[in-house]
Amino acid sequence: MDFGFSEDQELLRATTRRFLTAHQSLADVRLSVEEPDVFDPAVWRQGAELGWTAMLIPPECEGGSVTAQPLVDLVVLGEELGRTLNPGPFVPCNVVAGAIARFGTPAQVERYLPGLARGEVTAAWCLSGDGTPEPGAVEVRARPLGDTEGWALDGVARYVQAAQNASVLLVVATGPDGSVCQVLVPRPSAGLSERTLTGLDVTRRFAEVRFEGVTVPAANLLAGGQDTVDHCISLATVLQSAESVGAAELMFEATVDYLKKRVQFGRTIGSFQAIKHRLADLVLQVEAMRVAAHYAALAFGDGLDDAAEAVATAGSYVDDTFACICGEALQLHGGIGFTWEHDVHLFTRRAKVNQVLYGDGAWHRERLVRLIEHTVEG
Amino acid sequence: MDVIVPPIPEAYDEYRATLQAFISAHKPALTWKQRTGVRVPDSAADIALLRRYVRDLHEAGYRLDRFSVSSERGDPHEQRILEQELGAAGVPYILGNPLVAGALRYFGTDEQRAAYFPPMARGEHIWTQLFSEPDAGSDLTSLQTRATMVDDEYVVVGQKVWSTWAQWADYGYLLARTEPVEGAGGITAFILDMRSPGVDVRPLREMTGTTDFNEVFFDEVRIPAANIIGAPGEGWRVAGASLAEERTGVGSAGGGGGNDPGQRLVRLARRTRRQGRPAIEDGAVRQQIGDLAARSRIQRHLGQRIATKAMRGQITPADAPIAKIWFSELNLQTTEAALALLGPRSMAVEGDELAEEDGRWQDAFLYARAWTIAGGSNEIMRNLIAERGLGLPREPRGQAQSESPSPS
Repeated sequence: MDFGFSEDQELLRATTRRFLTAHQSLADVRLSVEEPDVFDPAVWRQGAELGWTAMLIPPECEGGSVTAQPLVDLVVLGEELGRTLNPGPFVPCNVVAGAIARFGTPAQVERYLPGLARGEVTAAWCLSGDGTPEPGAVEVRARPLGDTEGWALDGVARYVQAAQNASVLLVVATGPDGSVCQVLVPRPSAGLSERTLTGLDVTRRFAEVRFEGVTVPAANLLAGGQDTVDHCISLATVLQSAESVGAAELMFEATVDYLKKRVQFGRTIGSFQAIKHRLADLVLQVEAMRVAAHYAALAFGDGLDDAAEAVATAGSYVDDTFACICGEALQLHGGIGFTWEHDVHLFTRRAKVNQVLYGDGAWHRERLVRLIEHTVEG
Repeated sequence: MDVIVPPIPEAYDEYRATLQAFISAHKPALTWKQRTGVRVPDSAADIALLRRYVRDLHEAGYRLDRFSVSSERGDPHEQRILEQELGAAGVPYILGNPLVAGALRYFGTDEQRAAYFPPMARGEHIWTQLFSEPDAGSDLTSLQTRATMVDDEYVVVGQKVWSTWAQWADYGYLLARTEPVEGAGGITAFILDMRSPGVDVRPLREMTGTTDFNEVFFDEVRIPAANIIGAPGEGWRVAGASLAEERTGVGSAGGGGGNDPGQRLVRLARRTRRQGRPAIEDGAVRQQIGDLAARSRIQRHLGQRIATKAMRGQITPADAPIAKIWFSELNLQTTEAALALLGPRSMAVEGDELAEEDGRWQDAFLYARAWTIAGGSNEIMRNLIAERGLGLPREPRGQAQSESPSPS
């Protein structure tokens, strides 16, 4: 096996880039940032036709991947969507679709996946009360409803991406015995409410989702407990890493372009060695982000022996480095980068949020050390 | 070639076991100790033992593809096992600097390959590289060692430095100026018999306290014209090709064997203490190990990516410098982290009973600067990335006009 994208994946990249340039460019995204909602359902449905949510969904449910490595296909898409800070629910839809495809019952698969594949509906993932992936942070409780074989959900999930447009929520909850489970909750449901946060990342919307006696049938439980949550965390880490790679790449390219043009002291400032060396470091960082995200997708998707380490490596490095690159981009742009009109702040905001979503760098580094500890005797 | 290497099938267990048995039966007991880095044995007796060990391996059929004259390749799993087990044996199994192999493969004649590959593979010929000079380090194309044509022979006058293995070398891979032009265009690559009259090798002791490099002086050393690699004036391209071949291999081999930096640091942190507790229980220590371990894994992936690009013919000028900077700086930071973990105990080095792992970390720390400086200092690597990779303006040149500082 080699370690590059295939011709089909490069074609997918080119098609996606063309589509986004025409239908949802960075300039288009910028226009929506001060609107109450950033989601464009028409664009999302067209994107779904290009496979944005189809890769992890089996063909019999109207899905299908480009190659035999669907998660790597998604990395290509994630990078392209990240380049333009796409506001769509790429990460949550694929996390939920992936979880249902992997762990769902035939009825769940049939009910939810075709709509997600077509982009007619979207999904959100309610991870925890404080946004971290710690099992102890789950604040939604599930209690069995006597003889009716259903469940009632009470509690709150916060920092939930794209909840306000979702038709289905995948909710992490704790059962009466304290064990973790995931439940599919249609939206709207009685007792379910959400409040959209005023957020740092102006290109996406996050919500606080409340559950007050929300009842769901037992058939909505996703079998597998904590394993399903771990699977979702890994998927989310890989997909968000891919978005961060694309966004960092664009920020880097924009910075190089600017430094080739900007003249001070009678020279382009990109000719100063102090600047060149900083850009060289950014080259290293972008390339390292790329390979970390790509390898994580490949290893997790193919179930390689080091899949968990690979995901933790991406989680340890990628989003923190994306934020670091935005900081450098801002500094190297100088005053113009400090303005609202310039795109640097949009990327900086995206980066700061990606850093803390789905486990921050410190969480993933701790996870990596634990995995290494298991391999060292004594 | 597999870049993401598949697991080695169980059918190869027997090959591995046989090889292990062979190695333990034939591995020489050296007085010299193998340390981290490109390190060179310090006694003629050890060199003799190593030559015999390499010959024994070769005769038993344990042969590395890199010295194969033909394009025939060994079984890839066997090659991997061979590299793994020979590496784990803790004694050198490639004697000398093998850089010339890439030069001969791409620019040498059939006669040269037939003459020099087999003795390299058998441990009969030890090679050294004669590139850097006291006044031509990062700016290698300004090298001044001169080879002048006199009656079908070249006569070499000058001085080289930072040559590993030169004190034991049978042959040297020499860059010298033959043409009446400054810069890269005037350089020619040669095969030099190190026993030629006028070659004077003086070992250098480095900050590690060991002697791994040499100065080499040439006082009217004669080289037959047939010993040119490639064509006169083509030396810079030859050197670039051999370095590229060498660099693309960096990092693609992968870790394993329980010796990756993350595992080493975890072991160390279990044995050392912070705030009265094992250091491995300290959150800051765990974060640092996690960071270094992640970047160590990324190093491997950068190597895998470069190997893939090489196979697809997509190598860019930034690729080798990226891998080189990443590896050398991570290596330095890893050794610094280890010394910090050791705390006051890091004061005790090899030879002292208090030394941790017989001083491997302190030696690795001191040696780490060889990687950040040698093979093109990291500052030169950054220039290359910015200028050749990003197309930013070149640094202004002084009077001795030289080309882009490509290989070294």
